[in-house]
Amino acid sequence: MTDPHHWKGGGKQYFNKYVYGNILLGLLVPSLLTLFDWPFRDLLTSSNILMFYLLGVFFIALHFGFLSSILASFTSAVAFAFFFAPPIFSLEIADQENLVGLIVMLVIGVVTSNQAENIRNQAKVAAQRERRASALYNLSKELAEARLEIDISDIGLRHINAEFGGENLFLFPDSEGRLSDSVLLTSHSALHSKLVLDIAEWVLKNGEMAGNGLVHFSSEALRYMPLNGSTGCIGVLVLESKEDGLLFLSDQRQLLDTYVNQIVHALERARSAEQAKTATLKMQAETLRSSLLSSISHDLRNPLATIVGAASTLDVNAAFLDNDGKKKLLTVISEEAQRMSDLTIKILDMARLEAGEVVLNKQWYTPEEIIGSAIRRLDKKLKDRKINIVMPEHLALIHVDAVLLQQVLVNLLDNADKYSPLALPIDILVEPSQNGLVISVADHGTGINEIYQQKVFEKFFRIHEESAQSGVGLGLSICRAIVEAHAGRIQVTNRSGGGALFKIYLPVLECPPSIDLEEKDDL
Amino acid sequence: MKSVKPLILVIEDNYQLHILLRTTLESFNYQVVTSLTGQEGLVMARKHQPSLLILDLGLPDIDGQELICRFRKGSEVPIIVLSARDQEEDITQALDHGADDYLTKPFSPSVLISRINALLRRVAKNPSGGANEVFRVGDLTIELTRRRVFVGAKEVNLTPIEFNLLSELVRHAGFVVTHRHLLEKVWGVSHIEHSHYLRIYMGQLRHKLESNPASPRYLLTEAGVGYRLNENN
Repeated sequence: MTDPHHWKGGGKQYFNKYVYGNILLGLLVPSLLTLFDWPFRDLLTSSNILMFYLLGVFFIALHFGFLSSILASFTSAVAFAFFFAPPIFSLEIADQENLVGLIVMLVIGVVTSNQAENIRNQAKVAAQRERRASALYNLSKELAEARLEIDISDIGLRHINAEFGGENLFLFPDSEGRLSDSVLLTSHSALHSKLVLDIAEWVLKNGEMAGNGLVHFSSEALRYMPLNGSTGCIGVLVLESKEDGLLFLSDQRQLLDTYVNQIVHALERARSAEQAKTATLKMQAETLRSSLLSSISHDLRNPLATIVGAASTLDVNAAFLDNDGKKKLLTVISEEAQRMSDLTIKILDMARLEAGEVVLNKQWYTPEEIIGSAIRRLDKKLKDRKINIVMPEHLALIHVDAVLLQQVLVNLLDNADKYSPLALPIDILVEPSQNGLVISVADHGTGINEIYQQKVFEKFFRIHEESAQSGVGLGLSICRAIVEAHAGRIQVTNRSGGGALFKIYLPVLECPPSIDLEEKDDL
Repeated sequence: MKSVKPLILVIEDNYQLHILLRTTLESFNYQVVTSLTGQEGLVMARKHQPSLLILDLGLPDIDGQELICRFRKGSEVPIIVLSARDQEEDITQALDHGADDYLTKPFSPSVLISRINALLRRVAKNPSGGANEVFRVGDLTIELTRRRVFVGAKEVNLTPIEFNLLSELVRHAGFVVTHRHLLEKVWGVSHIEHSHYLRIYMGQLRHKLESNPASPRYLLTEAGVGYRLNENN
């Protein structure tokens, strides 16, 4: 009884069954009582018999409907008058006392029936409310967890379908304010064949309900409900009408309104969160652009000034320069040009990584080979530097983009070389970890102050803004971008003896492939 | 031989680079002809029959890869490819199409000169492209036909695959050999995609031949492209 779904489909049949059952009960219980009392009619006083009838009425009133208990009251009254109140087998009642008893029983029967019916209705309403409250609770809980508009409309639709039945649909306007007809093109369901976009557009514009049985477009097959939010109508809910007119019942309408309100709120929340995010991103992009510009203008202009100056001196004043002077200027030009080249490459790398243009070309490599190729790329720079490499033999292959990972190591080694005294070695340690590989690069320099240990990985961050050593402040950001593209982590600490210790954690995401080993027949 | 300066054809669309290459190469006793486009380059090559080609991959008219294929149809002229950085795939493709070596811009002119010298030396010594019977670099000695390898005076035992891999590198000593080429020559066409075989065997070779396998002196990695056996230690 507490589930309105029972009413759906074949409601009339159910109603008939309910009425006939009640009538049958209302007749049956007094008849049984009459049969039961009849043998004892001489032993029992008439008030006792009335009590039995009253008990029956009371029982029916408590457990069955109002109709059956009222019917039972009157049947009992008739049965008492006919069988027990003298003269028996006649409806006449001679005794004054019996008449009063009968009337009192009737009154009690009717009042009890009424009361019981009220209590039952209240219980029903309470149960209904509870169910709705829990349905609403579930809806709002799910909506609260959803972040994306698409998820919110899916959740909303699922709950509306479950509660109100039928096939239903949300329509949202596109960026130009038009309701999309893509749904119409992709679906061939009954709902879509009945859907009229023009009416949906009308509802969107006017913010009023329309469709089947309503003031506007009442001849339509579907109902269109506006999703009215704080910023106006944000979409349209299309509802399939049900025959029994469930949606017209005021409390169902109320519930639907509550559902729609919650969904609209969730959608608006998601939208404003999205807008806030876009705004933040835009702001970040602008800050990035301005710091990029200032970095580029500083770091490219300075070497350019030197190159242009030195080159024009060589060009115009060559006659006044001795060989030594010429050589010095040429060295300056080539060093500064090399620096510009490095910076340009870094800026381009970062731009490509940031733009998401870099597709990892992952293959299986030995860690040893990648470290070897990184050291080789810095061959000239590191020729006077001792590098200690500690790594276990027979390390598992790692699945990485060798060119990019090599770049990470080159940047780290380059930094270690720049910021530590030449006489002290650089240490490379490779060790397997619980679920991956850890590569450490450590130097014996001054280390990195704890307050900067996070910041050094940020773009354009430099500990010493204008130092001759520092580059454009992108090397470590590139490292982080590459390591993170491999689902790994990079961090820096200071080693106990002094000096920076960079650690790269690379997770093993899949097992290395096996190879068919050749027969062990050495040459 | 000494009287004729070898002729180098430069096909490159950046005119400033022509000046640099011409000046540098002429100072090292090479003759230089230049062309700004691929079409012109093809004509010049037919006309001058150069000893070596320097080819930019990003030409305005013809795709560099296509140009390499066309040159390779009728000639064995050594080709050095110039390319922008981060184009490992283009480089690999160019090498697989028959280019002999590559340099990424910006490059050092002295490296270019040493690569040119090495290529021309190889052509002069072995017109057929074969290798010497005995290859020596540093303390490494490799005897190809006897299939024996020594580090210093000590003979090293290699498995057949390790030796085949090494000898393939010896055949191209000084030049980069692509992963694809090595996989095909050593393991066969069916293993071209199985690059991990190559990595594992290269690791084993380094452990047997290098004093510090993590910082190799002979068996060098060209990240993303292939391997190079260092021929002048």
